[in-house]
Formats: sequence, structure tokens, C-alpha cells
Amino acid sequence: MNLFACPNNTAVNNMSKDRSFQFSTVLASTVHDIKNSLGVLQGLINSLSDHYREDDHPQFKQLAFEAKRMNHSMMQLLVLYKIDNKHFSLHIDEHDVQDILDDIQAQITPQLQQNTLQLTIDCEDGLLVFCDANQISNAVGTMLNNAQRYSKRQIRLSAFEEKGNVCLCIEDDGVGYPPQYLDINPQDTANIDWVSGNTGLGLYFTSVIASLHKNGTEQGYTKTDNQSSLGGARFRLYLP
Amino acid sequence: MSFDIKPLKILLVDDYPNMRKSIRDMLRTVDAEHISEAGDGAGALKAMGKEQFDVVLCDYSLGNGKNGQQVLEEARAGRLLPFYTTFIMISTEQTPSMVLGATEIKPDEYLAKPFNAHQLYTRIEKNHARKSYFYQVEREASRGNIAAAIHHCEQLLQNENRKMHTSTLKMRAELAMKSGDYETAEHIYQQVLEKRELNWARLSLGIIDLQQNHVQAAIDCFKGLIQSSPLFLEAYDWLSKAYLASKDTQAAEDILLQAVQLSPSSVLRQKKLARTAESNNSLQVAESAYRNAVKYGQFSMHRSSSDFVQLARIYQKTGMPEKAHSALKQLRAEFENDPVVEMHACSLENEFFQQQGEQEVADMAFKNAKNLLHSLSDPIDKYVLLDMARSCFINQDEKEANKILDSLIKNHIEDEDFMNEIRNMLTLTGKNNHCELLIQKTKQQLIDINNQGVSLFNQGKIAEALSLLQEAANAMPHNKTILFNLAKIALHDLKDNSSDKFRLSTARDLIKRATNAGITSEKQANLQYEFVRLSQQHSGK
Repeated sequence: MNLFACPNNTAVNNMSKDRSFQFSTVLASTVHDIKNSLGVLQGLINSLSDHYREDDHPQFKQLAFEAKRMNHSMMQLLVLYKIDNKHFSLHIDEHDVQDILDDIQAQITPQLQQNTLQLTIDCEDGLLVFCDANQISNAVGTMLNNAQRYSKRQIRLSAFEEKGNVCLCIEDDGVGYPPQYLDINPQDTANIDWVSGNTGLGLYFTSVIASLHKNGTEQGYTKTDNQSSLGGARFRLYLP
Repeated sequence: MSFDIKPLKILLVDDYPNMRKSIRDMLRTVDAEHISEAGDGAGALKAMGKEQFDVVLCDYSLGNGKNGQQVLEEARAGRLLPFYTTFIMISTEQTPSMVLGATEIKPDEYLAKPFNAHQLYTRIEKNHARKSYFYQVEREASRGNIAAAIHHCEQLLQNENRKMHTSTLKMRAELAMKSGDYETAEHIYQQVLEKRELNWARLSLGIIDLQQNHVQAAIDCFKGLIQSSPLFLEAYDWLSKAYLASKDTQAAEDILLQAVQLSPSSVLRQKKLARTAESNNSLQVAESAYRNAVKYGQFSMHRSSSDFVQLARIYQKTGMPEKAHSALKQLRAEFENDPVVEMHACSLENEFFQQQGEQEVADMAFKNAKNLLHSLSDPIDKYVLLDMARSCFINQDEKEANKILDSLIKNHIEDEDFMNEIRNMLTLTGKNNHCELLIQKTKQQLIDINNQGVSLFNQGKIAEALSLLQEAANAMPHNKTILFNLAKIALHDLKDNSSDKFRLSTARDLIKRATNAGITSEKQANLQYEFVRLSQQHSGK
């Protein structure tokens, strides 16, 4: 089955003979397959961790984290591939920022319930934003998953208006970003440390998604620094 | 107001038992109690026919059979989904509109796999809140009671609910479009666009231009959208319509071809391309499009025998008789014991054999087709009839051909696209006969009868109006305008006589006839709503 929009119309489209077409089909069906497995896997992890005491089995936290990381990586892979092939577009509409934060919070609720993490959410009342809510929720969810790995105990997710832009901000109480992630242009791929875990790819991905959000001449962007009010890393995503 | 998932009836559709179990477990952990399941599209539709669900969670890929999008299309067309139902499409992608063919039938929400119970709960909650907010508007709209829906929508707009404001404006504009109030709709879309350039608002402005015959403005609008959002497929569809309206069929074909290359799975788009390409004599494009229509339509409600026939015809035309025969064979296998299909197949075989110079067998095939035509009493697909008319011309049976065309024109006179198909066929067979005259005459007749009927109705001469339209309906038994007006007048007649059994059954029959003739779903809903109201009034007495 065709998973995403690849032209597979043999007579009217010469691309079908192109190797890239075959690769995209293989990629898409692989992602599809892995995501299905991950879904079942995550369900199993959640139901198992409900049965066992977290203190006796700290591995559950790790399991859930890794499964989510794999999922985020798969999603990023697919989206970036599609952007590269000009087969990606945002679906911009007006959204309540609180709804988006609720969705992001829901992504890590299982971890919150294990009581290993404290998440506070702060959103300006009645804040609205024009964006692709699914993409933003996933991009910020990716960053939140990373923050969770490096934080000690607390994470703060907030949203507010700043100079006409809407800012989504993640702050943690960890040791902060290592120097190579500070004040870089995340879209400058030469600067990204691709090897050490998902952080580099995650930053790159979120900044690409942010920059696809445009309003007139303005476009979205991301910022990383260690000015967290909780003492650790701070990630901000701005939407015009 | 906190949200309670407990009373909601939820239908869960996935072909993979482990996935169903996993999602069912999630729903249980958030306290959902009424969970039904289906393992495929057919099962899902059957369940929706039996029970009215508040939430349908449907996976896009459902194995061999209908996919999630086809389930949604069929459920909407068959009115199996009540107005308050939230349909959530589950898939492996964030916004898989491209996969789904990007048609106008959209789910309320896309949910990407994998997800956890809280994400699922949050999505259901959000959509439920939305549906509750618009409950009265959508209830009235689903009954075809557009005026009442507009009234409720206006009230919501006065709430000054910032969060829902844009959605409410969008809904108000859609209702304005439905009632033909383009001025209000245009005003609202402009208002939205002042705040932000949004594709749906811009597209609607183009549609309004097209509806008001500002074809060039519409073309410019749709072109602009495609340039800024190259994957916005609805703009391609509308651009092709605008090109067709300006009689630029080649441009229409080109733009549809681009659209199916981006997303091949919409059966209706493939069919549109196939027919447009065929009329342009772009046989290669037409062949591929018919082939795709057959392929993607296998489990769709839009599957039709005509596509197989057209495909076979094109194979024959382009010198591939073996493929033509195998297409016919496939047709007969897939539509076994269907006399209309058999008739269609025979008419085509007649053409094939004639081309091969086997006149005797050809004559036999034509005779079979004609016999079948005369034996059929149910209404036959207009495209099949058009092919039969052509067959008759080819076999020098002008009398029969004209008889078919006469009834096609009278019954489908409002369908300008189809009138063009008739003109095309006549040009291709070299029969520029009296049809154009008949088309113009029929149009005028229709206008006259309607005006006369409305004027009689306004004078309170209900019985006269009824008999006039009844007579017209006898002459044009499938004409949508006449049947709809006839049903409306019959309903009006029922108002003061709601206990009259004969009038009740007349009205019911007329509604059924209008529905079968293919009046729009709003008009259907409008008639149904009125009828139910009146018959309840009677039983309440």
C-alpha cells in the first residue's frame, strides 16, 4: 500500500523508474511497520509498568524513553525525507495554544504518572497561534523527551506572546546544554553533533519545522541557551 | 465543565487484533465503557448502520478491502454518521492528507501512531468539546434546515468566544455558501484573510468567483494557491473545474494529471482525468487514469463498471486488443449477473468485432445489447446510456440513439458537464444532429415549467402546481429540479392535510424519487426533515 504520496503511476510518470521512488516506498513501508510495532510495544510497556512497582523496576522508565525516542527518530526521518523531496507541507490553521500544550503533556503523561518527573505548565490565557498543530506538538514533544532525559526532576513548559510571536519554551533543571549546542544555528548542519544521541537531530528537526512556519516576511525559529529559570537548559520555539 | 468519556459510544476499527486490543486497553484506562470493534471496513460500516456512535477511531490502512478513507466516504454518503460523531483517522503519519487523496471528505482529526491513552483521551476530549459547541448548528444543518443553522451560528458568534471564533466564522461562511449567499461568505473569508493567509479561506474565495462565473479570477486564485502550496490538492481540482468552465480542456487535463502524480489514490480525480483526457484524445493519459480508477476503486463506493469499459475501449483504440479483451473479461468477472454491465460489455464487443470486420458476430452483440436495454426497467447510469447511444449511431440505428439522447438530455439538463459529454460524443461520431437544439429547448422548457409552477404555488393553487410539475416529471422522470420542487409542493400540501394517508404516501414517494435522482444531500436532508416534522405533527394529534 502506498503510504505517502509517491507518484506510482507507471504510465504517466517517469519517476516510477527512478530509484528514489523505490527507496521512498521502502522507507515509507518500513517506517509504517516500525511505528506499528512501536505502538504495540509502548502499550505493553505501559501496561507492564502499571503492574510492577517503579522502584523495583527502574528499567521501565528507560524502556518507555527508548521506545519514544525511536518513534521520534522515525518520524523525523520521514518528515525530513519528505521535505527534501518536496513532498511535505504544513496545514496551518488557528489553534488554542493550551490545546497544543495539553497534547504535548499527554505525550509524556505515562512518565509523569511514575512520579519520576515534575512538569509544570504555564500558558497565557486565551493565547492563540497559527500553526500546524500536529507538527508543532510533535516537534516540541521531541524536545521535551530529550529534556526529560537530562533533567533531574523538574521541567517547565510555558507559552507566551513575545513581540507579536508566540513562544513555546522548555526549561529544565539539568546541567544545561553542552557548549556545542549553544548559540548555534541549528539549521547549519555542519555544526550539528549527529553522533551523540538524538539531541542534534531533534534540534535540527524542530528548527526546520519552525522555519517552515511563515507569516509574510517573518518565519519561525528556535533558540537554545542555559538561561533556564530552573537552572538547566532552555529551549524556545518562536512562531510568527 | 469536565469531560466524561464514560457515556460515549466508541467504534474502534483496525484490521490488526493486537492493535485493537492495545487501543481498547487504552480506552479502558481512561474509563471508556462502550467500545465496539470492527476488523475491516465492511464490518465498520455494518456497525455504523446498526448503532450511532459518538466516536469512530479508524485506522487508515485496513488490510485487504476498504481503507479508512473509503470507510469515511461511504459512511458520510450513506448518512451512517450522525452530525455529532467525531471521526478520528489513525495513521502512521502526522497529517496524511496526501495519502488519503486529499479530497473534500475529511475526518475530524488525524492521530499519528503510536500514541498513548492520554493522547487519545485528549484528542477525543478536544473534538467532543468542539462538537458540543456546534451541536445546534450542525444538528440543523444535518436536517437541511440551513436558516436555523445560520441563526444558531450567529448566536455563537455573539458569544465572543475567542478560541472558537475563527472556526465559527468558517462554519458561518460554509452555511452561507450552502444557501447561495456568496456575499456574506466572501465578506467572512476576506475578514479571515486580513488576519492571516489561510489556504481554506483563499480557496473558498476562488470557489465563489467560479460560482459567480468570474472564471478568470477563479483561475488566478487557484493558480496562486498552487504556487504557494504545491501540495494543496483541492486547489488542483478546483483549477481543473475552472479550466473546464472556460472550455480549456487541455489545461484541465494537465492540471489533473499533476494532481494524480502527487496523490494517485482519489478515484474520483482519476475518473475526472480519464474523461477529460479521453475527450482531448490524450489516449495514453486516459488509459493510465482509467487503469488507476479501476485499481484504486476496487473497494471504493465509486467503483464503476464504466471505468472497465472505457479502459477496454481505449486499449482497443490504441491497438491493444488482447488487453481490451482481458479488461472485458475482468469486468464480467467482477460484475457477474449484472444485466446493465452485460449490456455495456455487448455494446463494446459490437464495436470490437466491427473493427475486426466480423460483422455477423458484431450484429449479434448489438442485438443482445439492445434486447437488454429494452428489458431493463431501473434507471441506468447516464454514462452507460451515452455509450449505448453511441453504439446505436455506429450501428445505424439513429432512431434508438435519438430516443436515448432525448431522455438523457431531459433528465440531466442541469448537468452542464454531462451535456458537454453528449456534445463530445456527437462530434466524435460525426453526428451533429438536432441535439443542440434539443438541449436549448429543454433548458427553456424547464425554466418555463418551474416559473409556472412557482407562480401557481404562490397564488395558492397547490393542486394545479402539483399537476403541472407531475406532468413535467412524467416527461423528465429523473430531472432533479422538477422532482425536488414537486416534493416541496407535496410537503406543503401535507401541512394542512397531515392526516391524509394518500398525501403522506405521495410525499414519501416523491422524496424517494428525488433522492434517487441524485439531489444534493442538503436538499435530501431538507425534505426528510420537513417530512418527519409533518408526519410527527399528524401522529401527535
